[in-house]
Amino acid sequence: MSLLSLLIFIPLVAGLIILLLPSIWQQHYKYLALGAIVVQLLLSAYVYLNFDGSVYSGIDTQSKYQLVERLPWIRLDLGSFGALEIDYFLGIDGLSMPFLVLSSLVMLVALISSWEIKDNLKGFFALFLLLDTAVMGVFCALDFFLFYVFYELMLLPLYFLIGMWGGIRREYAAIKFFLYTLFGSVFMLLVIIGLYFSVTDPQTGNHTFNMLHMMNPDNYVQGSIFSALANQELFGIPARLLAFIVLFIAFAIKVPVVPLHTWLPDAHVEAPTPVSIILAGILLKIGGYGILRICFSIFPDAAIESAWWLGLIGVVSIIYGALNALAQKDLKRLIAYSSVSHMGFVMLGIASVTSEGISGAMMQMISHGFLSSMLFFLVGVIYTRVHDRQIPNFRGLALIMPKYTTFVMIAFFASLGLPGFSAFIAEAFSLIGAFNSESINGLLPRWMAVCGSLGMLLGAAYLLWTLQRMFFGKTRLWGGEDWRQKLTDLNGREIFALTSLSVMALLLGIIPSLAFDKMNASVLELIRLVNLR
Amino acid sequence: MDTITQETTCILALVATLMPLLSFAGILLVPGRTDRGAFFSILNISFSLLLSVLVFIKVWDQPVVHQQLEWFTIGNWHFKAGILINNLSALMLLLISLIAALVHIYSLKYMEGDPYLFRYWAYLGLFCFSMFGLVITDSLLLLYMFWELVGFSSYLLIGFWFTRKAAVQANKKAFIMNRLGDLGFLTGIMIIFTQFQTLDISLLFSEGGFVSHATIQNGFWVFSSNKMPDIWLTIAGLAFFFGAAAKSAQFPLHTWLPDAMEGPTSVSSLIHAATMVAAGVFLLGRIYPIFNSEVLLVIAVIGAFTAFMAATIALVQNDIKRILAFSTISQLGFMMLAMGVGAYGSAIFHLITHAFFKCLLFLSAGAVIHEMHHLKEKYKLDIDHQDIRLMGGLRKFMPLTFITMLLAALALIGIPGTSGYLSKDAILIQAFEWSEGQAGFWKVIPYSALITSWLTAFYISRLIFKVFFGRLRLNDICGQTFSLHEAPKIMTYVLVALATFCLFPFFSFNPLHYEHSWIIEGLNVVSNIGRVNIYHTLIPAAVNLFAVLIIYLSFTWYVKRGKSPDLSNSALFRFAENQWYFDKIYQNSFVNGILLLSRSVFAFDKAVVDGFVNLLGRATVLIAGLSQWLDRRVVDGVVNGAGSVTKIIGNFARHFQTGRLQHYLVTMLLIVLSFFIIKYFSQAI
Repeated sequence: MSLLSLLIFIPLVAGLIILLLPSIWQQHYKYLALGAIVVQLLLSAYVYLNFDGSVYSGIDTQSKYQLVERLPWIRLDLGSFGALEIDYFLGIDGLSMPFLVLSSLVMLVALISSWEIKDNLKGFFALFLLLDTAVMGVFCALDFFLFYVFYELMLLPLYFLIGMWGGIRREYAAIKFFLYTLFGSVFMLLVIIGLYFSVTDPQTGNHTFNMLHMMNPDNYVQGSIFSALANQELFGIPARLLAFIVLFIAFAIKVPVVPLHTWLPDAHVEAPTPVSIILAGILLKIGGYGILRICFSIFPDAAIESAWWLGLIGVVSIIYGALNALAQKDLKRLIAYSSVSHMGFVMLGIASVTSEGISGAMMQMISHGFLSSMLFFLVGVIYTRVHDRQIPNFRGLALIMPKYTTFVMIAFFASLGLPGFSAFIAEAFSLIGAFNSESINGLLPRWMAVCGSLGMLLGAAYLLWTLQRMFFGKTRLWGGEDWRQKLTDLNGREIFALTSLSVMALLLGIIPSLAFDKMNASVLELIRLVNLR
Repeated sequence: MDTITQETTCILALVATLMPLLSFAGILLVPGRTDRGAFFSILNISFSLLLSVLVFIKVWDQPVVHQQLEWFTIGNWHFKAGILINNLSALMLLLISLIAALVHIYSLKYMEGDPYLFRYWAYLGLFCFSMFGLVITDSLLLLYMFWELVGFSSYLLIGFWFTRKAAVQANKKAFIMNRLGDLGFLTGIMIIFTQFQTLDISLLFSEGGFVSHATIQNGFWVFSSNKMPDIWLTIAGLAFFFGAAAKSAQFPLHTWLPDAMEGPTSVSSLIHAATMVAAGVFLLGRIYPIFNSEVLLVIAVIGAFTAFMAATIALVQNDIKRILAFSTISQLGFMMLAMGVGAYGSAIFHLITHAFFKCLLFLSAGAVIHEMHHLKEKYKLDIDHQDIRLMGGLRKFMPLTFITMLLAALALIGIPGTSGYLSKDAILIQAFEWSEGQAGFWKVIPYSALITSWLTAFYISRLIFKVFFGRLRLNDICGQTFSLHEAPKIMTYVLVALATFCLFPFFSFNPLHYEHSWIIEGLNVVSNIGRVNIYHTLIPAAVNLFAVLIIYLSFTWYVKRGKSPDLSNSALFRFAENQWYFDKIYQNSFVNGILLLSRSVFAFDKAVVDGFVNLLGRATVLIAGLSQWLDRRVVDGVVNGAGSVTKIIGNFARHFQTGRLQHYLVTMLLIVLSFFIIKYFSQAI
């Protein structure tokens, strides 16, 4: 069994063991889960250290993927339709490898914050580990069918995690999240089927779900619906463009972009802290990853055609999200909207199709993974203590929780793009790429980058205002003396989680080559592929 | 210089830069008493000072030192990090480390007894590190990073007393306004990167660098194969200047600096007077070749306007620190003006001299505030200890502070024999020379600078006279006789040390001719026009003659008669007192505007975007309900109807099954009978 399969299935096995263990041991489930995730983290660290970014540029060539594992999974003879060919096909390149490390670390932090979960532990940890499996699978899968299986598999545990362990309006939030995402992925399935009938495996001649084959225009059946040469139309729209849009919407809901973002504040506000951390830290990145791996790689022509719109969506998300964040009174909702704003930089960078822009977008996803996890963890800290997170109900927390305030300041300044932290490099290069685009490929006008930079200003505004309102000044709490007793400063477990996240953000901000070196070749390869059309 | 000495110089500069970072990290990471860190910081910054002196000796008037390392690679672009030390950066390094070391020593007494003092030392360390980094780095990207970091450390230090509402509002304002300027800086970086594909300062801006090779052809700004419409050259210049204007508190981004006075006075003197606010001027100096004539004109106009505006405001303020803050804005305006008129060397020269005398003004003011605060605490008075209307006659209590502050004030006015005379007259003279070549209207600029320098003479002499002459007005107000003490010894040593730097010999052996100053010569941009020009004698004479008259006027107003004409009801007075209403305008238009916008955007998000989603949800539920009704009433209705009919028939038929033989026989008889009857009659028909 290869390393990637181990990464994917270790959590699943641990989850199954938890299901089989008797409930009287439920206080020990978390240690079993912790063990599984630590092993996973060590494995992904090993993968990271042994990944040679300059060799494994991946994208559309199987030989350039590392740790490839390809086993026939489903083979059905369909008579005149040929043979159904679905592979268990895994592999990583510079676009996916960073997310493995990110996911395992975020999972660890989420698990640490699960210490606060008190009821129905068996279900919680089993679902948690199932989610972990699905997430890892999505980042490793190179067969579209397999990808879809993992992609849909994420929904189930998330639905229950929000719906059962969430806040007051948890059912509403869970069903909203579920339907929103399902809406995207149902249409995605149609495109997958269309692609299946358009693409053949050059070796066997069978139709295939292999994503790498889908990226090569030579593998398309002549006259098939998604063949670039056939120029087929559906509902008066070129079929390839339509397919791109459908896939884009599916992933854009995950990112999320304005106006498909409204599930996010509700889901975040209602979800328990560990689920918020996973949502913001990992799931949003699956959207961006999907856009790069699938939308841009399989439909590069349509991507170039839509780049201007994607850039616009990015800019709108940046500013719209930031303005919304400025109006919030609920700290968690504020951070949820700030996610919308920060993920806008990802869209802007990707749309520029320049090496700076796409690297910046990748960096922004990684950086936002660490920082948003940190932010939601921090919200969770006060919420578990006093079950309140309304900004006006707190003032002068710095006096009673100095360590907590220190970490809040690190997280806030890192996410508003203070140099020295990863978000600065990420946002600066997303913007530089967007600005450069007009000179390099003429896709995005220069004003988009300039407008996008306003997001950095608004980011400073809402975060500093929050700092001022909640943490500075003389201490005054809505809950009075009772709250003051309950608001104890961070404990060792919390400090450990927060420190590891801040160290990652700081490391990537000072030595960005830790990430750039691993993905540079893949980014260049992707740009080459897209420009090939 | 060969490479080996180049390398050692760079290592020296790097270590000098990293020492304060060591203070920052060491103090924060090693737990201990809440007042820890003082000696550690002072030791580190002194070491930095020593190294800076070495670097300065090695580099001054020698070839530029430049070393770099690969930092990271994106796509095909290699970003390097390195150290670039020319005369300008060596000078700045020395200036910053010297002033920082003095302020550190001063703080030892000034900040004594404050809770959580370790944070103060740590933040100061972070500031010094970022400031050193800013002046020695060789890449625009790194320069930008340090640029934001100095803003961040200034944020931390302004809000050092974070329980005070005014302080935390001031630091937020400072950071956000600087962020706004930073967007300009970032835009400039984006333009430069797009055009030249590098952010290496020495490649871009050295003599014969990329920027000087770029040309304007047919409305395009062309460099090798890249071109952009030529408007982008102007935009780049304006964008960089916008960034510099925020940091150096120039109109329209100047309003954060007076509020920043909420921080400790030692911080104000180091960051908001001597070093950080001068970073904008330094930036312009580093990237000077990017500015075309239009942008230079804008810089000159903004500089002159800011200088004038801030000086008028300083005339009527009563808070000792606010007067000095506006004075700083005004003097920074002078430097900007100098940059705009091409007097690059004079701008930097004034930056240096100003750093010393303004730092001294603040530290002396700090000594006064320290003692007034002491008094306030001791007698539990409810007074504003920074209000100059409560002071007076302090020269008797604090003679040393008085003398040093007086020296600094004279330097600010530009009295011959002081450092300020040399640098300020250099700017005025060059501004007049520049205006010779300009069209009619722009001749206003040097004259406005001239008027500003007279206003300067007035506001600073007003401050000195009100604080140190006459008698203590607090006595009259409280009806008690108070007495103050001289500042603690350590503080006065620092004051004396700084005061010596306000005198001319440090900068030029000729007290009257700025051209002979080694700084101007070292920055080798002496103007070509010889001293034959009449301005060189006329301007210093006019400035000083009139300045002395103004000082005498304020002496009669504030000391001799002890009464000044009451102008507080005049419109102009109120205009100046309210700082030209900039704060109010910004608050009402931008701040409230954005808040209103954000609230309406959120309402839109909730009502329209989310509303649409919920509507969709409700519509689906409604349709589902409808189809359920249909299912129950129509589809199921048919099925159930069929069932009911069968049931009715069955019920009817069941009555036949009674189980009694007689019934069956009767029924049979009836049926047979009716059969025959029907048959009979049908046949008959």
